Amino acid sequence: MELSNNSSKVKMIASGIIPFVFVIIMMAYIFGPGGDLIDLGIPLPEVTIEKVDFVDSEIHATVRNTGPIPVNIVVADVNDRIHPAAVEPDGYLERYETALVRIPFEWNEAEPYTVGITVGDGTRFEKEIESAAPALQPTLDLAVFFAIIGTYVGIIPVMIGLLWLPFIKKISKSKYHFFLALTAGLLLFLAFDSIEEAVDVSNENLAGSFNGILLIATVIVLSFLGLYYSGEKLVQRAKSSKLAKPVAIALMISISIGLHNFGEGLAIGAAVGMGSIAFSTFLIVGFALHNTTEGIAIAAPMSREKVMIGKLAAMGMIAGSPAIFGAWIGGFVYSPFTSVIFLSIGAGAIFQVIVILIKWLRDEGDKNLSSASVVSGFAVGMLVMYLTSILI
Amino acid sequence: MKITRSNTMILLVSIIVGVSLVAVFPTFSDAQSEQKTFVTHSGAVVRTSGEVIDPLYTVSTVDFDPDEFLRNFEYGRVSVSETGQTIREYTIVAEDDKIQEISPGVFYNVWTFNGTVPGPTIRATEGDLLRIHFINNGSKEHTMHFHGIHPAGMDGVFEPVGGNGGQFVYEFEAGPVGVHPYHCHVMPLEEHIVHGLYGVFIVDPKEGRAPADEMVMVLNGLDTDFDTENNFYAANTIPFYYQHHPIQINTHELIRVYVVNMVEFDPINNFHLHGNLYKYYPTGTDIVPSFYTDMITMSQTERGIMEFEYEYPGKYLFHAHKVEFSEKGWVGIFLVKENPEINQDIEYGT
Repeated sequence: MELSNNSSKVKMIASGIIPFVFVIIMMAYIFGPGGDLIDLGIPLPEVTIEKVDFVDSEIHATVRNTGPIPVNIVVADVNDRIHPAAVEPDGYLERYETALVRIPFEWNEAEPYTVGITVGDGTRFEKEIESAAPALQPTLDLAVFFAIIGTYVGIIPVMIGLLWLPFIKKISKSKYHFFLALTAGLLLFLAFDSIEEAVDVSNENLAGSFNGILLIATVIVLSFLGLYYSGEKLVQRAKSSKLAKPVAIALMISISIGLHNFGEGLAIGAAVGMGSIAFSTFLIVGFALHNTTEGIAIAAPMSREKVMIGKLAAMGMIAGSPAIFGAWIGGFVYSPFTSVIFLSIGAGAIFQVIVILIKWLRDEGDKNLSSASVVSGFAVGMLVMYLTSILI
Repeated sequence: MKITRSNTMILLVSIIVGVSLVAVFPTFSDAQSEQKTFVTHSGAVVRTSGEVIDPLYTVSTVDFDPDEFLRNFEYGRVSVSETGQTIREYTIVAEDDKIQEISPGVFYNVWTFNGTVPGPTIRATEGDLLRIHFINNGSKEHTMHFHGIHPAGMDGVFEPVGGNGGQFVYEFEAGPVGVHPYHCHVMPLEEHIVHGLYGVFIVDPKEGRAPADEMVMVLNGLDTDFDTENNFYAANTIPFYYQHHPIQINTHELIRVYVVNMVEFDPINNFHLHGNLYKYYPTGTDIVPSFYTDMITMSQTERGIMEFEYEYPGKYLFHAHKVEFSEKGWVGIFLVKENPEINQDIEYGT
């Protein structure tokens, strides 16, 4: 008995390993010596100028080799005019390696520039900057400035939104369902908003080799799964502790809104960093109006509980304060790749909250999601968000 | 509640930290500590721990030597016919597989006559018989099409010469007097020209020209990324070459420049001389100059002869006043020195 058990175990392990062995043999055959089977054409070099900074009498371009072969950076130009430049640490870039190209150039503020990089085979790559602005130095003043903006955009509007709590507390059950569905509608809009932003950033700044859309999709799903798993754990524990389920849901909503607001902070910081001050003023006003609705989203599930002001304020902070951190990162150490990642995490987090909300609505509303209050709430949520988003 | 919230927070934090590690992880390779310096266009000195990319000031190791090309004239293997006509024979080999470093670090597939872009400067006197043994060692069809007067069968258009050793003998009388281009005339023509299959053909008048320090400048462009826009411009192929290797000339000495514009894609090119004006003979066909100017504009294959003398020593720029071209390489310097043999007759170009 034991013997057959052992041999079946061996068989099982062997059957698990054999396909791998064949994969290795196949790879060895294709790539090994004499394997000129896939000698298909000539690989073309590609570099991506991921970031351009305007500093004192110099233009700095961060260049990444995003092609399949190593490249040499040999010529730098501004507006298609060749300039002597420095490449740090050196011009030879392996795949995905980056270098900083420093081009001495007396640039003028608010003028558009095109920075070009030519590699060893003479291929030129360029990036257009709509309006030159001095790169932000991480000074204390600026940090405070961003903190204030983050407060205006994140914390204050969310807190104002939370003031609807007493109103929501007093309304009937169906109207309450309306507000819960409204919350789901608001959040769904925010998720689309984050995805759109992530796609934009990826298209503008990331090389094709990052597979931008698939990167976004993967991060959204991972973030959704991670938060879904931990969220379920949170709700389970809530049952056995004094933490009520609605509070747990509100907490999850505030965390996911916090992740979203982090992305908004990035957008504002980056806009200021890129010199589009007028644009960022709009962004600030728009986000502020937009984000009051996020307060409702947190308030709605909490309204059937006896709520302490402290708890509510903490949730407001969780939801709102990441805007400050986002603005800092966006303004001082902006990286398109990081932005795409955070925006996608935010979208995944929101999807997770929507699923939880809908589940809850279904349980509360006698397994019925098609009541007038739920449907109209969802629709109004999307519409309100769309209308406030026009302001951005 | 504390435990559960902290669990969620730990998960969140670890996700964020993990992601930012991926995103921010420095992929910069090991920095060199050695400091280098270079000079910018406006004269500022910049220090770097990295590498200097500078087509202006680095001493280039390019394969083609514009200094040698500048004053080199090929008179051919000379013999005299029974009727007393001078016969000049040349052997010109076309190739299209060379990769040349045309600016420091930039490697480009040049198509060449006798291994260089531009090809050799063919020089004869009006009425000489030219016999050009053309061998095509390229992989594509090529020809030699001369501007000038010759029979239709010698025009290098309807007689494509096959690659891998195809041959043709071009035979015609040199004329008219002037400076003319020659180039390959196989379709797609633009491709064959921009890759470098062109050169200069000078026909001297029988009575000769006044002695002078003579030089050839082919104004050309290089479209290294094949987007029908030139990435580099130059006088004699190598961008910025005569800026860091100034052409040395003497005061009170006649300078004669044979200029041929072979730039493609851009409709015009031009030639501006600093601190002086030149007499300009369009196409070099007349012995009376048409202009006395410091600026002429040239279209495709337009050419002419410029004559000037410098009175004062020093450094003088010459460049395209279409500044885009000069900032992409078509710029040079005449370094004018005090003439040591001011009272002696010196003959050049013979």
